[in-house]
Amino acid sequence: MEELLQQIVNGIILGSIYSLIAVGLSQIFGVIHIIQWAHGEVYMIGAFVGFYLVTKAGVPYFLALILTIVIMGGFGAVIERIVFRPLRKMGIMSTVLGAIGLSIFLLNAAQIIFSPEPQRFHVPFLDTKIQLGTINLTLNRLVILVVGFTLIMLLSWFIRKHILGKAMLAMEQDMEAASLMGIDINYTAMLAFILGSAMAGAAGCLIGPLFLVYPNMSIMAVNKAFPVVILGGLGNIEGAIAGGYIIGIVEALTAAYIDSAYKDVVAFVLLILVLYFKPEGIFGRKVMHKV
Amino acid sequence: MEKAHRKSRDLKTFLWPVLVIFLFFIPSIIENQYTIHLLIVSGIYVILTVGLNLITGYIGSFSLGHAAFYGIGAYTSSILSVNFGLSFWITIWPAMIFAAFFGLILGIPCLRLRTSYLVITTLAFGNIVYLLLVNLVGITRGPLGIINIPPPTPINLGIFSLQFTTKPQYYYLVLFSVLLVLFFFKRFTDSRTGRAIISLREDDIAAEAIGVNVVYYKILGFVIGSGMAGFAGALYAHYLRFVSPESFNIITSITVLIMMIAGGVGNFYGPIIGAVGITFLLEKLRFLSDYRLIIYGLILFLVIFLMPRGMMGLFKDIVRKRKKVAV
Repeated sequence: MEELLQQIVNGIILGSIYSLIAVGLSQIFGVIHIIQWAHGEVYMIGAFVGFYLVTKAGVPYFLALILTIVIMGGFGAVIERIVFRPLRKMGIMSTVLGAIGLSIFLLNAAQIIFSPEPQRFHVPFLDTKIQLGTINLTLNRLVILVVGFTLIMLLSWFIRKHILGKAMLAMEQDMEAASLMGIDINYTAMLAFILGSAMAGAAGCLIGPLFLVYPNMSIMAVNKAFPVVILGGLGNIEGAIAGGYIIGIVEALTAAYIDSAYKDVVAFVLLILVLYFKPEGIFGRKVMHKV
Repeated sequence: MEKAHRKSRDLKTFLWPVLVIFLFFIPSIIENQYTIHLLIVSGIYVILTVGLNLITGYIGSFSLGHAAFYGIGAYTSSILSVNFGLSFWITIWPAMIFAAFFGLILGIPCLRLRTSYLVITTLAFGNIVYLLLVNLVGITRGPLGIINIPPPTPINLGIFSLQFTTKPQYYYLVLFSVLLVLFFFKRFTDSRTGRAIISLREDDIAAEAIGVNVVYYKILGFVIGSGMAGFAGALYAHYLRFVSPESFNIITSITVLIMMIAGGVGNFYGPIIGAVGITFLLEKLRFLSDYRLIIYGLILFLVIFLMPRGMMGLFKDIVRKRKKVAV
């Protein structure tokens, strides 16, 4: 029982990271209907920005986290303007390939700039051990849990309540109608990129001290984020949040009780099952396909 | 107009034999073994790209999991020939059938999906197959890969026998396979079935309205395209005589996709140009060492903006412009 509880907590921690990455991916898809293939690279660059700020520039960890969020938000704006805005006018084949091209470019540039070797993002105070009832945690994991949850709730609040968030929701439903109602499409798309990239950057900076930072961490991130967004329904933000936690928990349990080699397979099997039985996502509404 | 059309057809019927004869004599013209190697690899990629083109270009199902079928074919053929001592000429059939079977399994759920979901589903499928190749150590030997795969057994023709051990010999096998696949593909797309499949790409609702069985033809396209990838996989395994999961990961799927798009989607010549062009381009970029893939990413981007319909699309646009000027 204690073991199970511990594993579930581990799953939730992993799930917070998945949710943070997936939320942006899902939101960007919802607004401009393009799969942001390079989202994993944004997460990876976020981890490196945090790493350099803390270990090289000596910025305190939490300040570095805030700075990372701001910097990666700016980075999101830049890639939207340079890459995705021109791509938006093109066919689906070109947009997928364009996004893949950006991803290849960023990943390989990162390998040259940051070196492909894994580096240790060490923040001493985060290693403090904490005992919560029967559950053992490090401070680092608790920070991920709390900060991750707070950021997700803030984003969710922003989208539901703020006028700009509502503009995004309107664009998700019908881009043309939204623009007729006076919503600036370009501005809203850029906002989606800023928020999504900021979240991914935060995820990178949060998980950095727990594991190592290295360019290829981006591949793992997209491989996890895609099943998560499908599970929740593409473009569905609450779905992506719940999907992240579900996959995190299922993975932790698989690693503990079945075989840790298969923990990466589980997410994909779950994804294919969802697509077989409920392609609109487990939280999705059925959308009528118009002729 | 009629005359121009006939002229271009005459040109095509004339060009094909010349091209084939030229390709046939390449090993005697080119001494460099490395170039022959690149041509063999290009040939295998042509088969892969033609298969993907059938799935994506002709029936309009975007696939990012093509390397999975390629891997399934390669591993099936390798395991059967290494563990059971079967000849390449026998193992190539289960390789194709097994890959086609998985195409069937993937094709069924993909029918209902829209493009964005398809991209992710096929990507996930590719990842599952890759992870299984890595983790099913008992069958696939995991990351170590399978070594000592025998080359195809010689074919005895009475006076002399056809060997497939050196690069030029294997080149002929691949050349023959590519021509066979292209011939089959051409006949297939010109047939009644092929035209039904093309109608799905143009407008599947209209096609269904005039009585084309959408489900059947979409799955058929998937099955044949995957079978071709299985065939390419077997050719690859018995050429390198070594397979490991790394050759069949997402990068390979993306490369094949890029070859198809760079050449021109839904076009007969596109995959050939794309596969050969990209294989050689990647080699030419090797001098850039670490910067190679960065430049590759940039080139990809330029391709999309400058010629969104691939090289064949660009070629057609130029021809059309010149015709307009002439009129």
